[in-house]
Amino acid sequence: MKKYQILAALLLSGLAFYSCKDPVETGIDFDMTFTANFDGQQLEVDKIYPLGTLPINFQRFRLYMSDITLLRGTEEIRISEVEYLDFTPSSSATNLSVTPKIVFKNVPEGSYDGIRIGYGVKPELNAKRPSDFPAGTPLAIEDDYWLGWKSYIFMVLDGRGDSDNDSNMDFGFSYHCGSDPVYREFTYQQHIHVEKDHPGLQIAFDVRRFLLNDDNSPYDILANRATSNEVSDTRVAEEIMGRFDSVVTMKQ
Amino acid sequence: MKILVSTVQIRLFLLVVTLGLGLAQCDKNDPVDPTETDLSGIPYNPQSYAIPKPAHFPQVPVPADNPMTVDGIQLGRRLFYDPILSADSTMSCASCHLPVGSFTDNKAVSTGIDGIAGRRSSMSLMNIAYATNGLFWDGRASSLEDQALKPVEDPIEMHNTWPNVIEKLKKHATYPTYFRKAFGIRSTGEITKELAAQAIAQFERTLISSGTSKFDRFLQGDVDALDDEEFDGKLMFFDEGASYGLPDAQCFHCHGGLTLTGNQYFNNGLDSVASLDDFVDKGRGEVTGKQKNNGQFRTPTLRNIALTAPYMHDGRFTTLDQVMLQYADNGFGVENEDIFIGQMGFPLGNGSYSGLNAYQRSAIVKFLHALTDTTFVQNPDIQNPFK
Repeated sequence: MKKYQILAALLLSGLAFYSCKDPVETGIDFDMTFTANFDGQQLEVDKIYPLGTLPINFQRFRLYMSDITLLRGTEEIRISEVEYLDFTPSSSATNLSVTPKIVFKNVPEGSYDGIRIGYGVKPELNAKRPSDFPAGTPLAIEDDYWLGWKSYIFMVLDGRGDSDNDSNMDFGFSYHCGSDPVYREFTYQQHIHVEKDHPGLQIAFDVRRFLLNDDNSPYDILANRATSNEVSDTRVAEEIMGRFDSVVTMKQ
Repeated sequence: MKILVSTVQIRLFLLVVTLGLGLAQCDKNDPVDPTETDLSGIPYNPQSYAIPKPAHFPQVPVPADNPMTVDGIQLGRRLFYDPILSADSTMSCASCHLPVGSFTDNKAVSTGIDGIAGRRSSMSLMNIAYATNGLFWDGRASSLEDQALKPVEDPIEMHNTWPNVIEKLKKHATYPTYFRKAFGIRSTGEITKELAAQAIAQFERTLISSGTSKFDRFLQGDVDALDDEEFDGKLMFFDEGASYGLPDAQCFHCHGGLTLTGNQYFNNGLDSVASLDDFVDKGRGEVTGKQKNNGQFRTPTLRNIALTAPYMHDGRFTTLDQVMLQYADNGFGVENEDIFIGQMGFPLGNGSYSGLNAYQRSAIVKFLHALTDTTFVQNPDIQNPFK
């Protein structure tokens, strides 16, 4: 009996050792570069842009993305569970724009038909708190967690406007979207080549399109200056988050 | 998730490597400068230190090139409280950062060894380990290690020079031993200002909340920890009051996260200026050179705010009631005021907001008192070791 116990122990130890080994690396580094634009021009903080006849500027734009997944037929390759993009230059920076770049590791080489991106923090992770994550990782960012919703703040889009065209930016708008009901996933049909020495994917967010209705008329930001803090009132947040489909363009 | 695990592994690896390098360094056989005192006979056994924190707090960031050790913290604690750093040996870090004031000096502006008053109020060091976006009111120091170097040579603070400080430390009866134990140096010739700053930074990273304030108890499930007025204040502070008929006070947008500071720089609507060039103290703008940063200052933590009066970068308000009255007026409309400065209260439908009434202001002040953490300020591990 004892020798069977020893054999079992050896077998279990071997399995444990085997399971601790890193997976064999079969992929390559693949990068994505992200830009924020306004109607095709790279977005600059505090610069005044026209939204219809309303002058507006932008002061903060940042967002979470979840389950970034490359698609090939029925095959799905998730290359990241969660990422964080902040397009707001730090106050010490000389640049007025930020162009974040993310390098995804160990991505299988080949051609893909599309990509799926979740905007916000997916419910499974949104149920956790910043204290659950190591310092320096995206979900450890305290400032983008709101106790009121018990949720991460999926996206922040803040700016100012000039309601009477007198060159005084006299009102602010603040779209802070969060909580599970406003999480959105979109699939983009795009030929993506993951190959050594091949350029990465460039993804652009046209923030103007967050502020356009379906018929391309300007969103009434004077009447909808902020997302509601009432957890049951997600109307404005859902309108804004629902526009990622048209906001995002990509090329390689 | 794999990425997150890897980050922890990398940090542990760096800690081990750093400590290992320290050990390797003390085994080197290079000759010690004969004009310096040989310390290699003193045992060097660095023990890594995990900073205690409340379970609901975020993990404490520690730079890979200054891992926490028991002896590093003890050296830093001594240096923090020792007036040896100042030119006339009368002033220490603790002169402006006393535990009883949650590591402030409770003065509008601090005064240096020559009796010259500075321009700004001393900032609380509570939870300063989490401040990773610049230090001082204007963010001119990039890290705690960088910050710790500056007051020594500031002419209106300690008015000393680091070479003087290092000479005093080298000749001191006990500091060479403490430096050896903390960093494995082989002789007094290896005592540097950078090591002194690293030790002070290590001690400062231990200044973490105890997690026993009323607010912390509430967060951890004790629903009775806040009374009704404090609870109303919390709802308004965090803009959670819509279902209770309470307005948004917008506080958390700047004072966010569990440490109640977003570590960002804002113009919080204190001064009415015709031009952004007209701020008496340009704050962040002095560092960045950008006009739009004039009048912006780093958001202080609100934890233990009841112990840190007076308030604002220049200590202009002596009470929290005065602070709330200021904010309730919704700023002056200066172009770089933060968006939320003008949005306190109920929206009135014409782009303006109602501000807060007396009860609402009072409830928020009561909530701010519920952030008081006396266990932290009384923690024996962070008191003056010379008393």
